[in-house]
Amino acid sequence: MSTLRTPAPTLRARAVSKGYTTGRLRTSVLENLSLTIDSAALTLISGPSGCGKSTLLTILSGLQGVDQGQVHALGDELGRLDKTSLERFRLQHTGFVFQDFSLFPALNACEQVELPLHYLGMSRSRAKERAQHALDEVGLTSQRHLRPAELSGGEKQRVALARAIAKEPQLLFADEPTSALDAANGQVVIDILHGIARNHGTTVLCVSHDARLIRHADRVLYMEDGRILQDSCAPSNGAGRH
Amino acid sequence: MIALARKSLVYEWPRFVPVACAIGFACLLQLLQASLVLGIFRSASVQVSGSSAQLWVGYPGTASVNLGRPIPEGVEALMRMDPAVERIEPFQWSDGNWRGSTGNVAVSISGINPQPDGQVYAHVLSPAERSKLSEPDSVIVDRADLGKLGVHVGDSASVNGHRVRVVGESRGLRSLSGINIVASLETARRLDTDPADTSGPTYLVAQLREPSEAGAVAARLCCQRAFGPYQVWTASDFARRSELYWMLDTGAGAGVLFLAVIVLVAGAAISSQALMGAVAGSVRQYAMLNALGIGLKNLRWVVLEQALWVGAAGMAGAAVLGLLLLLIARSQDVPIVFDGTVTLTCLLMALAVTGVSGLAAVRSLRHAEPALLLR
Repeated sequence: MSTLRTPAPTLRARAVSKGYTTGRLRTSVLENLSLTIDSAALTLISGPSGCGKSTLLTILSGLQGVDQGQVHALGDELGRLDKTSLERFRLQHTGFVFQDFSLFPALNACEQVELPLHYLGMSRSRAKERAQHALDEVGLTSQRHLRPAELSGGEKQRVALARAIAKEPQLLFADEPTSALDAANGQVVIDILHGIARNHGTTVLCVSHDARLIRHADRVLYMEDGRILQDSCAPSNGAGRH
Repeated sequence: MIALARKSLVYEWPRFVPVACAIGFACLLQLLQASLVLGIFRSASVQVSGSSAQLWVGYPGTASVNLGRPIPEGVEALMRMDPAVERIEPFQWSDGNWRGSTGNVAVSISGINPQPDGQVYAHVLSPAERSKLSEPDSVIVDRADLGKLGVHVGDSASVNGHRVRVVGESRGLRSLSGINIVASLETARRLDTDPADTSGPTYLVAQLREPSEAGAVAARLCCQRAFGPYQVWTASDFARRSELYWMLDTGAGAGVLFLAVIVLVAGAAISSQALMGAVAGSVRQYAMLNALGIGLKNLRWVVLEQALWVGAAGMAGAAVLGLLLLLIARSQDVPIVFDGTVTLTCLLMALAVTGVSGLAAVRSLRHAEPALLLR
């Protein structure tokens, strides 16, 4: 691995600081952190628990604001957007995959994927078509009528992935997407994430300390104590700067 | 659009059963309480509502039919002179002391015209039952009061020291003011030992040639002082007057209102807690949708829609159970009235409980903060 540069960053954090207050105690999580993330690559943020990697993900995805500094996503400064505009931004441009899948028990795989598409104003037939295509892409064509209770853990995570990519987002955020999966299912999810970045040109930002994922990432950011200690890229892919 | 609210309700129905039960029972309690109260208070005017007369003439300011005082005899002549009045007859109301096998019981005595076309209790007593009252010293009682009076049909007892015989039983004679026994006017006068009741009848009742003109005729005939103290009411006004007296002046209405508020508050508290619990169970999924950009406003609608569906299910259950209980109550002679307006009001109250529960449950969505799921 070696450090490389690319000219088209989609996410940019500049001098970002973030902390939490519990009672009278103030804990600093991110300290004056600057970073750019590029498109068409799988970028992994790794580090020990409590190092601030999940906080960084929420800040770069617009799920929460910063105390100091600026965050630009696809050219928009997220700090300037109000709550409704941020929701609109996320609806149009971002996909999310969480460790616990967060699927509705009552909906089948196809409906889980369709649901967010309706809020984009898509017609029922168009949403269904998109959902089926996304499920095809994650290899769940024959399971599209099954509910979460009838799916394995790996299949559930692939439904969550299909739900995230069906919107064709430019930014895809994943929090520990493989941590709850066995080796085979973990590998499938890693391949899908990699494929989304390569084939769709999507910016895939992943938080994980799963060693399997580290090996497949185009770029790995290693964090400790709210700072990026190491930024390394796979030799075959140009990505990132710090 | 995927019907998330309805699909979740159908698939995860056990989570929502406590909510539906809470709303359903709140609705059922309101409905039964209102029907019972309405039935009880309406029984306060059974003498009026059970009669076919359109006008009632009584002592001025009489607050309730059971509080009547004698009116001057000359008033009847005044009534007969009015061309709008077709038929007129007196109604005697007095108190009595019934002595039977169960001891002394306070009763009210209704003295009526026993002819088949008599107006008072025309809707309660059949012509055959009325004609039995022509026999001197005969009385008819409500079948639900037979036990309290300690008699059966055909038995004898004494009222104010006079011997009477029970010649029949009827339904719908029960009154809020006490046990009501019906006799002919002649028998009633014999039984009335009150020295004050020596002048005219307690009431005069009249049927009009044109019933729709009752209001105008009552206004025309009212309060001509030359004939002594009297007042004329339409039957509906006098019935309402009697019901309102019992409802407001006795404090019973305030008690009922207090109970209704308690039921509403308890229903809202229980159902909102249950609904909040049900919503909290899906908070991670809602947080996920919010992360994907689906606004909290849209998610609130999902929760409110769920609340309304659950409320509708609860109300449907309450309606079926309520109807069943009303039928049972009626078969047991419990004074209960099924009224469309009251039912609608109760349903609206249940809907309000549902709305409050839904709004309370919406507050659970504040935990659906996607950033919190990542910490």
